[in-house]
Amino acid sequence: MEQTYAIEMLNITKRFPGIVANDNITLQLKKGEIHALLGENGAGKSTLMSVLFGLYRPEEGVIKKDGQVVEIKDPNDANALGIGMVHQHFKLVECFTVLDNIIMGVEPCKHGFLQKAEAREKVMALSEKYGLHVDPDALVEDITVGMQQRTEILKMLYRDNEILIFDEPTAVLTPQEIEELMQIMRNLAAEGKSILFISHKLNEIMAVADRCSVLRKGKYIGTVDIKDTTREELSRMMVGRDVEFVVHKEPARPGKTILEVEDMTVASKSHSNNAVKNVSFNVRAGEIVCIAGIDGNGQTELVYGLTGLEPLKGGKITLEGQDITRAPIRKRNTMGVSHIPEDRHKHGLVLDYTLEDNMVLQRYFEPEFVSKAGFLKRKAIRDYAERLIGQYDVRSGQGPVTIARSMSGGNQQKAIVAREIDKDPELLIAVQPTRGLDVGAIEYIHKQIVAQRDAGKGVLLVSLELDEVMALSDRILVMYEGEIVGELDPKTTTVEELGLYMAGAKREGA
Amino acid sequence: MKEQKRSLLRNNAVQSLMASLLCILIGLLVGYVVLLLINPAGASEAIVTIVKNFMTYSRRNAQLKYLGSTLVKTAPLLMCSLSVLFAYKVGLFNIGAAGQYVVGAGASLYCALAWNMPWYVCLLAAIVAGAALGAVSGLLKAYCNVNEVISCIMLNWISLYMVNTLLTQVKEETSPYTLTLSSTNPGALLPALPSFCMSWFNNNQYVTIAIPLSVLVAVAIWVLLEKTKLGYELKATGCNKFAAKYCGMRENKNLILTMAIAGALAGMGAAMLFLTGFEQWQCTQSSVPGMGFNGIAAAFLGGLNPLGSILSSYFIQHITNGGAYVDKTMYSAQISDFISALIIYLCGFVLFFKFALNNWLNRWDEKKAAKAAESEEKGGKAE
Amino acid sequence: MILLLQYTLIFASVLVLVALGGCFSEHSGVINIGLEGIMVMGALGGALMMKFLPDSTPAFLMILLVVLAAILLGMIYSLLLAVAAINFKADQTLVGTAMNLLGTAAATVFVKAMNTAESVDNVSSTIQYINAKKAFLVNIVGFEFNWFMLMALIALVVSYVVLYKTRFGLRLMACGEHPQAADSVGINVYKMRYAGVLISGLLGGLGGIVYITAGVSEWKFENGVAGFGFLALAVMIFGQWKPTRIALAALLFGFFRALGNVYTGFAFLKAMNLPSSVYNMLPYIISLIVLAFTSKKSRAPKAEGIPYDKGQR
Repeated sequence: MEQTYAIEMLNITKRFPGIVANDNITLQLKKGEIHALLGENGAGKSTLMSVLFGLYRPEEGVIKKDGQVVEIKDPNDANALGIGMVHQHFKLVECFTVLDNIIMGVEPCKHGFLQKAEAREKVMALSEKYGLHVDPDALVEDITVGMQQRTEILKMLYRDNEILIFDEPTAVLTPQEIEELMQIMRNLAAEGKSILFISHKLNEIMAVADRCSVLRKGKYIGTVDIKDTTREELSRMMVGRDVEFVVHKEPARPGKTILEVEDMTVASKSHSNNAVKNVSFNVRAGEIVCIAGIDGNGQTELVYGLTGLEPLKGGKITLEGQDITRAPIRKRNTMGVSHIPEDRHKHGLVLDYTLEDNMVLQRYFEPEFVSKAGFLKRKAIRDYAERLIGQYDVRSGQGPVTIARSMSGGNQQKAIVAREIDKDPELLIAVQPTRGLDVGAIEYIHKQIVAQRDAGKGVLLVSLELDEVMALSDRILVMYEGEIVGELDPKTTTVEELGLYMAGAKREGA
Repeated sequence: MKEQKRSLLRNNAVQSLMASLLCILIGLLVGYVVLLLINPAGASEAIVTIVKNFMTYSRRNAQLKYLGSTLVKTAPLLMCSLSVLFAYKVGLFNIGAAGQYVVGAGASLYCALAWNMPWYVCLLAAIVAGAALGAVSGLLKAYCNVNEVISCIMLNWISLYMVNTLLTQVKEETSPYTLTLSSTNPGALLPALPSFCMSWFNNNQYVTIAIPLSVLVAVAIWVLLEKTKLGYELKATGCNKFAAKYCGMRENKNLILTMAIAGALAGMGAAMLFLTGFEQWQCTQSSVPGMGFNGIAAAFLGGLNPLGSILSSYFIQHITNGGAYVDKTMYSAQISDFISALIIYLCGFVLFFKFALNNWLNRWDEKKAAKAAESEEKGGKAE
Repeated sequence: MILLLQYTLIFASVLVLVALGGCFSEHSGVINIGLEGIMVMGALGGALMMKFLPDSTPAFLMILLVVLAAILLGMIYSLLLAVAAINFKADQTLVGTAMNLLGTAAATVFVKAMNTAESVDNVSSTIQYINAKKAFLVNIVGFEFNWFMLMALIALVVSYVVLYKTRFGLRLMACGEHPQAADSVGINVYKMRYAGVLISGLLGGLGGIVYITAGVSEWKFENGVAGFGFLALAVMIFGQWKPTRIALAALLFGFFRALGNVYTGFAFLKAMNLPSSVYNMLPYIISLIVLAFTSKKSRAPKAEGIPYDKGQR
């Protein structure tokens, strides 16, 4: 007998210039089940969901609902088919009430006037039925992230959606809220809703899902029943057995302490919890310390705190014996902190400037590049840029005068790496230095980072890629929910174990 | 050959020039249509008059003299446009150039008429007053988060009334105008150009060092923006304030400094007009002088380039003066204001124009690349 | 004293109307700096209607037609902003500024051409409407009630209801706060923004005609509306984009503006012997001070001024 599925995505292939984001992927969601979609960052999960939501058209493959082939051209089609989604970044109007947000787009009306009493009844009924506690009259900006998420869920239920997609729903929740969410999801499934749960936190998947499909690097790895599998097996499926990048490096010879962080706390911009909670660690000369963890666990804020982009709420930072807790950014930079930022377009480059002007972004004020009268030494800048371009193999259309915006992502990143490394820092902070780059560029940047370590610099690497963490680091600190939950030695640990720490399934001293 | 043409089209300066010319063309065209609607009989003549300006005089001497007069008013306009574009490069919209111009006029005239100061002190006073007013907007933006456009507008009106009150003390008894410099304090008049230059303008007495000075300032602003550390910092802040913060630049300081410099430029522009004796301040005027607003037009029409501003300021002033020559029995001089306002409006579309042009060029290139790849593939197979 | 009240109310009416106009536009996500130009256009439409309607027109018809003319011209003119800002993603500040300059220039050119056509010697930009204006006034024991005051009150109530009680208002505000969220639930952001800008044209145009009939019987169009559009923007910011608070702010600003007209009627103010320009400056100074203290915790619509691009989700 043929199984009927609520939704089926069959042999979906989606290509972007130069990359196959989804390579012949099949995903079948049974009615009333919780189906997890597991994969690392860049595995192709969001592309697949965008296809389902009508944001992208796939090159190959079909989508079926209840066995019928359907066409989804835009999000409205998806809505009409009863597909709803809780986006990772909530789509809520902050100055509206919960109720207004829920009904927006499908407001019950009489002659254009809102009939909120009617809406409120329906919302309250739904809220009771599924245990989704919300205050319908509270403003979204005043409520907790958990309640915001429940609002998003109610938004789907209010529209009578049958297929509910949760995109990384636990990334911003507290453990208690996560537990609540799990219960809500079970309730929803019990009522016949079909749930697609996108995550890379293994223990959550183990706790709540019925089945799990795994993607890796755009390819479909397989689907398993949760009751027949283990965390370790899922982890292996997600990460892959073989480490793709082999970086040749000598054992580390750590020297004096370069960076000392004590009890650092940084507030969060997106929720009321602190993003970084009482974190202490150090980085010594000649070692690569890697902060591993899943996106959104406080790594970004940690780096902002270290570099001065955000003020600290508490704690102390010492660089080579000097207290830099309150030092301005320029001071930190000139004292020997280099920072390869997470977002190269937001922080790393002035996109409308030429390549050469970007090359001196951290040094333009030094006597080498500016005369006493305040004039830039154009020739010196050109020579310097040309040297970096040659030495670090930065390719661009017109050399030093290329506008940064017109360069490829890989070469933009190489330019930043060149600039930050050539500053000859004591401490190199590199945040996801290889994100979105091709293999060649990744290899190159990895070599540069190791070379810095061998030259006796301290390197703090923040990465979401397990391969990268394993290949490069001398010490691994795992961050989970703003805390460092474990310090691991890459030589003795396994990818599986690391995955367990990152997913919060394991922590030191617990 | 075609290849060359397209890469020329991709050049930013060429695109800006094309866009500006297009704005002028459409502006004049619509102006012409409006003239036609008002009175078809004289429309062609009127639009030609506007474009010809001083060339409508048949005598060469008169032409030279009124060329001089156009230039006298181009200098302050250029300064105002520099003020606007300088702030815009740092991401600020200095609609307050008009008010900074007003306080510049007030400070310079008061120093000249009440205190009998020499011209250079008056000029300096105008610069300081403009800078101070600009800095107020900068401070309000940096520390109180007040949108610079709104604060500038309020300050425009406040400065107008303040200057009116201040200059009433030095006005003529029988008219609302301030005393003339030539009768009260000739020492405050800006020095004339060397005599051989004066003959170029048929010894127009209002032609002073203000004209070359404003061009020099334009070049200086260009140098400041393009060649100095300060310009590098300010532009970086304007283009991407996050990157500016990342590399340790101080946003608030740059913001206030920018507005102060912009204010100084506009204030100086006012002194460059009123210290020539070409005009007196009317102490009862009830609207902010249009010079600062025309500066916006000139700045955008000049492609936000100080050197382009020299040309565009001249053009705007040229047609404004030209408007004065249209047949008053049919049309009003404000037709020129209308055309320049229209040109500002059209400048809003420049970005879109460039974007569309680049898109078109990209598609063209892609198509060609695809074709090339195809033929190469075929060629490869044939071998 | 009654005169002060009367002027306060009529100037407050102008400010309420125009500020509400700005409020609708900004709630939809488009910054409308061009309100000043829209006011001029509305004023022009109304003034022309008053000029050309025979004095014998019944008062009701007169009011209706004048208001319609002002509204219509204001709305048509606001399309300039809508097209540039919504379809062509132009810099909204630049376009608004251009509209202010263009409004005054166009009105001047037009009125001068009209006057000159009537009599060759008349090159002024003034329109008179001494008799027609009487239709708007009702004398209630010394207090000159103006029907526009009632209209402003109605506009206030209607705006409040539309923004907070209707589907349209909810959707409009969503577009100014979080257009991506609005789009994700099937709301057409472009359409809502057009609606917001057009309503600001409507209210701005109406405000324009109220302004030029407040206290005077002729208007010189060369002067535009003397920064009143910007005062209205200040009122809107001070009113935190909320109709009720806008009304209070408008009363406050209207009071200071009225003082300039009637301060000579108060012995103690006259005794202080301040130059009249002090009173002229007062509304602007007050608004600047008020803005300095209230802008830090501004509740401006979050997405205002940012062109919406459907492609960037």
